[in-house]
Amino acid sequence: MPSAPSRAPRPLAYWVIPQLPTADPLPMDEETETYLELYLDQCAVQDDFVPPRSPLFSPVVPYVYTPNPSNPETTFNSHLESKETSGNFSSVDLSFLPDELTQENKDQAVIRSKHETEENSETQSQQSRLPLPSGQDVGPGSDSSSLSNSRSHLHPGDANSIQSAPAKPNCNSSPLASITPMTPMTPVSECCGIVPQLQNIVSTVNLACKLDLKKIALHAKNAEYNPKRFAAVIMRIREPRTTALIFSSGKMVCTGAKSEEQSRLAARKYARVVQKLGFPARFLDFKIQNMVGSCDVRFSIRLEGLVLTHQQFSSYEPELFPGLIYRMVKPRIVLLIFVSGKVVLTGAKERSEIYEAFENIYPILKGFRKA
Amino acid sequence: MNNTAASPMSTATSSSGRSTGKSVSFAAELQSMMFSLGDARRPLHETVVLVEDVVHTQLINLLQQAAEISQLRGARVISAEDLLFLMRKDKKKLRRLIKYLFIRDYKSKIVKGIDEDDLLEDKLSGSSNTNKRQKFAQDFLNSIDQTGELLAMFEDDEIDEVKQERMERAERQTRIMDSAQYAEFCESRQLSFSKKASKFRDWLDCSSMEIKPNVVAMEILAYLAYETVAQLVDLALLVRQDMVTKAGDPFSHAISATFIQYHNSAESTAACGVEAHSDAIQPCHIREAVRRYGRKIGPLSPFTSAYRRNGMAFLAC
Repeated sequence: MPSAPSRAPRPLAYWVIPQLPTADPLPMDEETETYLELYLDQCAVQDDFVPPRSPLFSPVVPYVYTPNPSNPETTFNSHLESKETSGNFSSVDLSFLPDELTQENKDQAVIRSKHETEENSETQSQQSRLPLPSGQDVGPGSDSSSLSNSRSHLHPGDANSIQSAPAKPNCNSSPLASITPMTPMTPVSECCGIVPQLQNIVSTVNLACKLDLKKIALHAKNAEYNPKRFAAVIMRIREPRTTALIFSSGKMVCTGAKSEEQSRLAARKYARVVQKLGFPARFLDFKIQNMVGSCDVRFSIRLEGLVLTHQQFSSYEPELFPGLIYRMVKPRIVLLIFVSGKVVLTGAKERSEIYEAFENIYPILKGFRKA
Repeated sequence: MNNTAASPMSTATSSSGRSTGKSVSFAAELQSMMFSLGDARRPLHETVVLVEDVVHTQLINLLQQAAEISQLRGARVISAEDLLFLMRKDKKKLRRLIKYLFIRDYKSKIVKGIDEDDLLEDKLSGSSNTNKRQKFAQDFLNSIDQTGELLAMFEDDEIDEVKQERMERAERQTRIMDSAQYAEFCESRQLSFSKKASKFRDWLDCSSMEIKPNVVAMEILAYLAYETVAQLVDLALLVRQDMVTKAGDPFSHAISATFIQYHNSAESTAACGVEAHSDAIQPCHIREAVRRYGRKIGPLSPFTSAYRRNGMAFLAC
């Protein structure tokens, strides 16, 4: 690895996106790449780092972060998505990805991020981040079990490696920034303390090269291919637990993840598998197509009343389906509301839409509470 | 000469012949169904038996007519097109059916998107199922539509009054229930003929027919059966309310049916201390309802029997 020329350390991470660089391929910029290597050289290897599987940062988390818009890296990274098309995936180091082959590199990346945050001018936000891991068990909403699980996931690793807030290099934060709102979002618990949990995320990505499905099916583990039945390879990985449909055109659909970052991580893993089989796979146009969330309002709902007063939005045919189908206009989400009080929200492209939809429907449901 | 509509009991021998011999009976389901449609908490057994007989007769006749039509077409199975063709005269009911098909498609589309296994299954089987029922219905109506009225139905957004009334009745019924009763009510509402497809087929004795209905046609038939029961309950409730004469109120016949019902039940239970039985629909209500439905009202009513090809007035279409 070329040693980096003497360069003033550049403050990279301005906002605290506490998760592993699971997002975009590495910076196209040569400088930043060697900068990374500089850190990797300097860092010691962490043995038992457990990578977080889901975003620690989510709109539900009640702390404030303010991305510094004047940061040149920010603008650079906001263009990262568009620059992706020009980047060559195969030459990009995927060592950030936490799969078994690159464990050490990934750990080094984490350490590097830790170092970066120490340089971070926004120490305040980091310190406010500190109590969070411990306080997370009493986090917002009693139903955010998946979120607290993800946090506990991070704890063992974080306690060791990351003293300050686990900020990640911002070059990887831009996709997350593009997904999550830039303004701090207070949790949905203003009215009820109930937070919808994400159950399934469907995303698509373009690997941008023609694939030989037969070869993939033969060499990859956990791959099924039945050309007579369906013209795609069905591949599954265990961590994150997802399923992918890979088509010969190079397009891929990834389903089953429980969060945006997991979906992206999983898609990356699939892309890596394809890449390792010798195809020049890239990672273009990753897009989340659908998000499904669910929650429980914990009281019975009188659906007959709801369907009568919200006729233009709802349809309720109990002989067909036991739930009421409510088509919310803003945001454009479909909710399935059941008598037991369970609510399923689907059709979202962003997490905020699910939260917003639930905030909208909750007072209406309270009005039709059954005893 | 209006033999069929007069009394379902004395109708076509085919129905009585079948009813004595058949072992399949939907009486239990029908009891719950009638409760969910507006009848009392425990519908009378005689009423249920009568309703079952009416529905059964009407469906058998419907099937026979559909079989004749598909024979005309030269087809080997009764398909949904034949049933749609039979319903062409009554636009409102046809529109309700189309809406039902559309909701069915929509629901399977949504539910499929939620469960990832479903999503895979759908992709594997070729995702040509989306909106297939609605598109199919639309194509067919396109082909038989002479005047453009049928196709106009698809864009039409009028409120379905009958459905509206049913919704209001259900809402009123549920308002006074407690949560245990409401849970039971909801379960009753979920009953339908389509859930017990094989029993439904046996009940209609499809195996003995030369031309059998296909899957989509069976779905529509199950829906029509449910619609028939619903119509019967609607009409019987109207009849029952008509039978109670409110002395001194000249406009009682002009007030909305749902309103009067509400008024009556509140009064009668409070004032007269009537037994719970009177809430339930009696067989006489059903018979009267069928009789009135079959009667043509209008200037030419004495002469209309010649118009009918076959005397039976289908409640569902």
